[in-house]
Amino acid sequence: MNNLNKKYLKYYFDFLWTMTEKELKARYKHTVFGFLWVVVNPLLQMIVIGFVFRLFIKEPIANYYAYLFSGLLVWNFFSLSLTKATPSIVYERSLIKKAKFPNAVIPLSIILSNAVNLIIALFLLGIPTAVVGLLTIWRLPQLIASLILLICFTCGLSLLTSALNVRYRDVSFFVQALLIIWFYATPIVYSISVIPYNLMWFWRMNPMTSIIQLYQYIFADAAPPGLGMLTINLVIMSFISMLGFWVFHKENKYFDDWV
Amino acid sequence: MKEKSRFKTKHSTLNRMSAIILTGVSKKYTIHHEKPTFVEHIIKGSHEEFWALKDVNLEIRKGERVGLIGPNGSGKTTLLKIIAGISTPTSGRVDTHGKIVSLIDLRAGFHPDLTGIENIFLNGMILGLSKGEINKKLTSIISFADIGPFIDAPLFTYSSGMTLRLGFAIAIFSNPRIILLDEALSVGDQDFQKKSQREISRLSKQYLTVIFVSHNLQEIYNSCERIITLNKGKIIGDAMRKNFVI
Repeated sequence: MNNLNKKYLKYYFDFLWTMTEKELKARYKHTVFGFLWVVVNPLLQMIVIGFVFRLFIKEPIANYYAYLFSGLLVWNFFSLSLTKATPSIVYERSLIKKAKFPNAVIPLSIILSNAVNLIIALFLLGIPTAVVGLLTIWRLPQLIASLILLICFTCGLSLLTSALNVRYRDVSFFVQALLIIWFYATPIVYSISVIPYNLMWFWRMNPMTSIIQLYQYIFADAAPPGLGMLTINLVIMSFISMLGFWVFHKENKYFDDWV
Repeated sequence: MKEKSRFKTKHSTLNRMSAIILTGVSKKYTIHHEKPTFVEHIIKGSHEEFWALKDVNLEIRKGERVGLIGPNGSGKTTLLKIIAGISTPTSGRVDTHGKIVSLIDLRAGFHPDLTGIENIFLNGMILGLSKGEINKKLTSIISFADIGPFIDAPLFTYSSGMTLRLGFAIAIFSNPRIILLDEALSVGDQDFQKKSQREISRLSKQYLTVIFVSHNLQEIYNSCERIITLNKGKIIGDAMRKNFVI
């Protein structure tokens, strides 16, 4: 029995990786710049946002471009994964109808392919920040922990939204609208220090706050998230992720009825 | 005979001779006329229901070739999907023994931008093959599909016949013990039809169980030894060929 589980686990991860490769290959086929697009898009975004927000923000944030770029890369990963994973089960209906297989690999492979992009982009960001002395080797364990946290939360939330989207197609529109608001409700372009204390509870409820703060701490030497904030965020993240796994597991049997 | 037992379900009630046992299987669908929306769900509350299968009891032995007939909407495809594990019954129990491959849609699971080989890996894994198994069978799959130099070309350059042959080759080389056919072989050219029929006959001699859905009664009569008739989600006839009256 143990042997059987091991074999299944190996199959599962091989399958997940094959699907991830498919995502990556299909995305950059027939493009001239290929993987370069991973960096070009956030770079353009950073220049525009950086330029505009410099005019508005009274208190300047130290190392603003590094601060902005690390936040934007992480946010782009999160937002792109969620928008693409949510309708993924419906888009891949031909697979669902073909055979019985672990359906979770469909949304998970999208997230994993985005994670590959994120890691490449973070590596490219790491070079200049290390040169100017913002990033040191001692931050590496924290970086790995932050990556695991971010990917796990994105997986959990995407499993939830992709499973619900099979029955209620409104979910994908809701996610798109939510992400626009969520972006401004997360300290990416501004610093959390500008938030009045009586509104702070709202940022504490937002699990992305401490995730983004972790990356800004690693790459731009900004203040790390407070312990209280991190604890509350971790509890919320674990709750959402577990809910996601549970709902997906429950709904997964009835996907064929709805696509 | 060596049995592949990787993804089998519990088969405590199965004896050694049977491949599939369905006990009291029913399947209910809710009819949704438009895209299902959350708001609609809250406002209306109730749904129209449709029973695609009602209390189906069925036992199919290993190596049997079973034909499934019945008018449109009688539940044939639903029955195949439930046996394949793609769909879950509303109530009842499904026990199967050995790996099941459905040839319901041979073109599904291919990505147009990937090459033939990349697609073999993708499709093979969807059918439950491991990477090592696919590597071992790669040359046999390519030679059976007979797509020659196109194997390195992206799939959008393939003709529909080539895609079909590739899909069939992967399915047949995935070591199935039970094959579900939903008029799949009535597409493709004459040569392909003959070749695939020959392959199924050959495998059938090795105790491969075949369930065959078709509207072509003559075809069913020629290739199946047992014929099951479905109507409105119920089995209304189950006879061996020699007793079957057209």
